[in-house]
Amino acid sequence: MSTAFTPTPTIAPTIASRADGLLRDVRAGTGWANRRWYSPWIVVLMSAPLYGAAMGWFSVDSPARVLMPVYIAIKMPILIGATTLLCLPGFFVINSILGLRSDFGEAWRAITGAQAAMTLALLSLAPVTLFAYAGGMGHLDAVRFNAVMFTLATGAAQVVLFVRYRRLRALSPRHGWAMWFWVILYGFVGIQMGWMLRPFIGTPGKPVAFFREEPFSNAYVVIAKLLGGG
Amino acid sequence: MLAWLKQLDELLRGDRTRSSLLSQGDIPIPLRRFMPIAIVLGCAYGFFMGWFAIARGGDGWKQMLAGTIKLPALFLLTLLVTFPSLYVFSALAGSRLTFRSTMRLLVAAIVVNLAVGASLGPILGFFTLSTSSYHFMILLNVALLGVAGIIGVTFLQRTLRRVIDAQWTADLQRQDEAESAKMAGENYDPNNPPALPRRTPPRAGDAATGIFAVWMLVYGLVGTQMGWLLRPFIGAPGAAFELFRDREGSAFQAIGTTLSRLLGL
Repeated sequence: MSTAFTPTPTIAPTIASRADGLLRDVRAGTGWANRRWYSPWIVVLMSAPLYGAAMGWFSVDSPARVLMPVYIAIKMPILIGATTLLCLPGFFVINSILGLRSDFGEAWRAITGAQAAMTLALLSLAPVTLFAYAGGMGHLDAVRFNAVMFTLATGAAQVVLFVRYRRLRALSPRHGWAMWFWVILYGFVGIQMGWMLRPFIGTPGKPVAFFREEPFSNAYVVIAKLLGGG
Repeated sequence: MLAWLKQLDELLRGDRTRSSLLSQGDIPIPLRRFMPIAIVLGCAYGFFMGWFAIARGGDGWKQMLAGTIKLPALFLLTLLVTFPSLYVFSALAGSRLTFRSTMRLLVAAIVVNLAVGASLGPILGFFTLSTSSYHFMILLNVALLGVAGIIGVTFLQRTLRRVIDAQWTADLQRQDEAESAKMAGENYDPNNPPALPRRTPPRAGDAATGIFAVWMLVYGLVGTQMGWLLRPFIGAPGAAFELFRDREGSAFQAIGTTLSRLLGL
């Protein structure tokens, strides 16, 4: 008598398989990534620090500076999580006022899914970043290079957000307004959060620090002064 | 507390301004509940606004306290000053809103406005902690309160249109019933009821838009001046605490000056 062989899963799902699941479930809006509210956050917590460490590797020119990538690895999920927390009350109230509360769970899953996708995209770009650093580049070039990496990852997140929101927007066009409200608010707060949590790359020769030693300042004031020539 | 939050939630979700409820002739927004809610929400935004003064040290806490009180006062005092004219204008424009219903509708719009403002409060607090530019904080407050104001105003316009529409629909139904009852007393055949004369429904949208435009003009102008009179709300860095400032210039002039200073022009 023969019995069918049934493989027993003995190994816990790895970050890779979870990431694969997320990537494939994005379009369908199904799978494990939607089963638990915290599933996308696991991806964020696993992948954002890895890209942060790669990004911070730029300033490691001696064993003493190895703490810099560690700091940046810690700051990456803080950047995403704190920005999300600050924007959540406004997004919730806007959804309520637009009469979209019954779909809020799905909208929220779409947003957290997009954030997970952004960090996965960043993680996938980490080897590219390390490769670029290995070729030798100045600090300003490294800043520009990482800006491009973030732009690419944000683009991927936007695609995921649009796909996830497709069903919601078919239910009501007001979901589109709520989505754009989120995108604008998140971008506005995220830029300042990123500015506050600097440095994200680190400058060789400067002391290793979690925050810059200068007092907190405002990114938009700096931009306005640059634009105004002030 | 939970009951109050539930009522606020119902208002935000539109459960209290559904056409089926409005057609009964009243707006289910009890003032004794929603007035305190408006005050608490206004205080919440004013509290975050006052963080800027706290961060500058000194007697900043006084400015924070003053801002916490003055922000809801700005909205409610403006309502107090403008309400008689808002009511009279709407009545003259053909609205069937009673004195009480008009007040309830306007308070509901203020609550929605302040709820959005309060929900953006944490973002204001975050920027306050990281910003030393007074001019940026002024513009940020104008932007956040502007967003909240647009949403509050949209709610008001939509609800006003719904109220007028519901009331006129109810009027037409009453007229039709009266007409049917009159015919029933004459040669009325239930198997072959006579066609009622076609009525052209009043254009609810036009009336609502007219009333709304007047309301916005009056409330906006008075609100701007009230804000100017009640300033400072944030407190300029280095300036001693003052509950009210001397009257000078206008709010629009001040926004222009602030913008040019921020750009270094």
